[in-house]
Amino acid sequence: MVAVLLIDDDTELSKLLEEYLQSEQFELEAAHDGPSGLEKALANHYAAVILDVMLPGMSGLDVLKQLRQKSSVPVLMLTARGSELDRILGLELGADDYLPKPFNPRELVARLRAILRRASGLGGAAASQPIHLAGVELHPESRSVTCSGKPVNLTGAEFDLLYTFLRTPGKIISREDLTQAALGRPMSPMDRSIDVHVSNLRRKLGSYEGDQERIKAIRGSGYVYLLPGEQP
Amino acid sequence: MKYRSLFWKIFFCFWLAAAAMIGALNVMLWFSFASDPNPERRRGALGEALNLYAESAVQVYDSEGPQSFEQYVSRSLKEAGTEIALFDGTGKALIAHSSSEVADVAAEIQQTRQHVSHVTALGRLTWGRPVVAPSGRTYIFVSRLRQPYVPRGLPRLGIALSILAAGVISYLLALYLTSPVKKLKSVVQSFAEGNLDARVAPQLGSRRDELADLGREFDRMAERIAALISSQKRLLADISHELRSPLARLTVALELARKNTNGKAMAALDRIEMESERVNTLVGQLLALTRLESGAERVPPEMVVLEDLVQQIVDDANYEAKPQNKEVKVLQLAPCRVRGSSELLRSGIENVIRNAIRYTAEGTAVEVSLGRGDSAVLTVRDHGPGVPESELAHIFEPFYRVGEARERSSGGVGLGLSIADRTVKLHRGSIRAENVGDGLLVTIELPLTPSPATVQPVAEKMPV
Repeated sequence: MVAVLLIDDDTELSKLLEEYLQSEQFELEAAHDGPSGLEKALANHYAAVILDVMLPGMSGLDVLKQLRQKSSVPVLMLTARGSELDRILGLELGADDYLPKPFNPRELVARLRAILRRASGLGGAAASQPIHLAGVELHPESRSVTCSGKPVNLTGAEFDLLYTFLRTPGKIISREDLTQAALGRPMSPMDRSIDVHVSNLRRKLGSYEGDQERIKAIRGSGYVYLLPGEQP
Repeated sequence: MKYRSLFWKIFFCFWLAAAAMIGALNVMLWFSFASDPNPERRRGALGEALNLYAESAVQVYDSEGPQSFEQYVSRSLKEAGTEIALFDGTGKALIAHSSSEVADVAAEIQQTRQHVSHVTALGRLTWGRPVVAPSGRTYIFVSRLRQPYVPRGLPRLGIALSILAAGVISYLLALYLTSPVKKLKSVVQSFAEGNLDARVAPQLGSRRDELADLGREFDRMAERIAALISSQKRLLADISHELRSPLARLTVALELARKNTNGKAMAALDRIEMESERVNTLVGQLLALTRLESGAERVPPEMVVLEDLVQQIVDDANYEAKPQNKEVKVLQLAPCRVRGSSELLRSGIENVIRNAIRYTAEGTAVEVSLGRGDSAVLTVRDHGPGVPESELAHIFEPFYRVGEARERSSGGVGLGLSIADRTVKLHRGSIRAENVGDGLLVTIELPLTPSPATVQPVAEKMPV
């Protein structure tokens, strides 16, 4: 059984989910408001946290902000459908993925598994080799990144995204492939989370001298990681 | 500043009125002098002086002879600037003079035996009268003043200065009257653009006139509208939450039921899932439409790179279309920058394209094209049954259904085109539909931002 924390004020939903997730080999513990959820998340060791953004008292985004100061536990956000702002903010504050509410619990399980797979690290022998490329240094073992010698603080998804880019610089990678690589799941229709992750990553790394973007969007195709002076 | 603005109107009207009054006053004064050339009546002192002068001049000539008289004349010319001429009773000049004016006056006096005075256009007075000397001889005395006797024309410098002063005063007055209007306008503008906290009062200072009252009334109105809109927003958020919480529980319970019935009730459960998904979509679209219509949604002054947005929507739509053996094709993508919310525009355009996918026949493509004329022109064409001409006008109405059974089976809830319509209108654009050959053509026009070259594209921040 994998221990997962659910922070959601809907107690009935929590009970139903607990029952459902049990059959999927997850042990769900529930907290019904922000402060107690934050306390539990920090006190115990969970494999992942499912966090509802709409919480009474302390908003889910505040919980996430405080949680991220001390813990890197994978977080899956539940957002209100149609509230793009929550989604962007959540991903920027370091959530690993999001699911609009109401969701299908099968989808929830799939997303949870994807997050957990990624959190357990990338496999393969080649993966442990550090990559140096145009001022960016990426160490897969410690999952740390420096840019022009300065450490860059990336979320799990952003790290995997950068890792994917650095292995094939100059090559256009489709949004589908990037979603699979960075979020560990297939892209769904109307899914823009990969674009948020890319734009966060771009902001954190900064551009090359002369305002050249490191990561360029190719209309209709995907994204490409460029070296200085390179044109797509 | 626009030339038709209230400021310039007030400024020019006041200035024109003041200038006209100054001008009229001066002309009147001048005419009242110039039209009455009788010096005795106008200036008693001058008349008396001239009379005295005439008598003493004649006496000098009569009793002391021409030589003394000439001395007298040259002295008077030197000291008073007055030319003097003397004629005998028959009009013969006794002393030389050069002016024809003087000769004319003398001739007239000889005939009329009365005072005669002439004023030239330059304002110089020539005056004369018959004088009977103590010796009994009659002379005709004519003198000509060298200084202009009435103002020479109008006092131009004075008039120019007073008109200038009137201009300055008009300017200040116009500024005083229109500056609160300008402030009011900027606040109303900001309020209309969705800044519900915009108020006039802090800008008015201690003004207490009608314009200040207007500002305070606006503030009261703004207060009320802001309260209404925020309560509406809260209500919408609450409705959304309250309707979706049971739906969330329903989907989880449904999956539990699926597990526990071991596939026995699959068909019924699938149906429940589909219907709950439909309710969920309906709730989402209804809320979106209500937000658009209530004015709770504001259009941010964000720059949207329309061609990128359209391409993204098409990419996403293809995701949906491919499994149905349909396709979305981009025929043309002109660079277009529009001002607005990429999020709202995305949902509006997406709804039109999804609608087209729904109706286009299997194996055909929905054709999307973004052109650029006076405005950004986006067309979405399907190869489907089209819409009967009589119903074309209604398809943007909420819940309007053309082919009842068809639409339900295709999964629409009947709000997509209404959302598109309201979104486009919120962005000051237009949307229309027409039948073309074997399908429906929806055309969306959105106003372009003035100069696409100078704007900062925000395409990369947008796709969320």
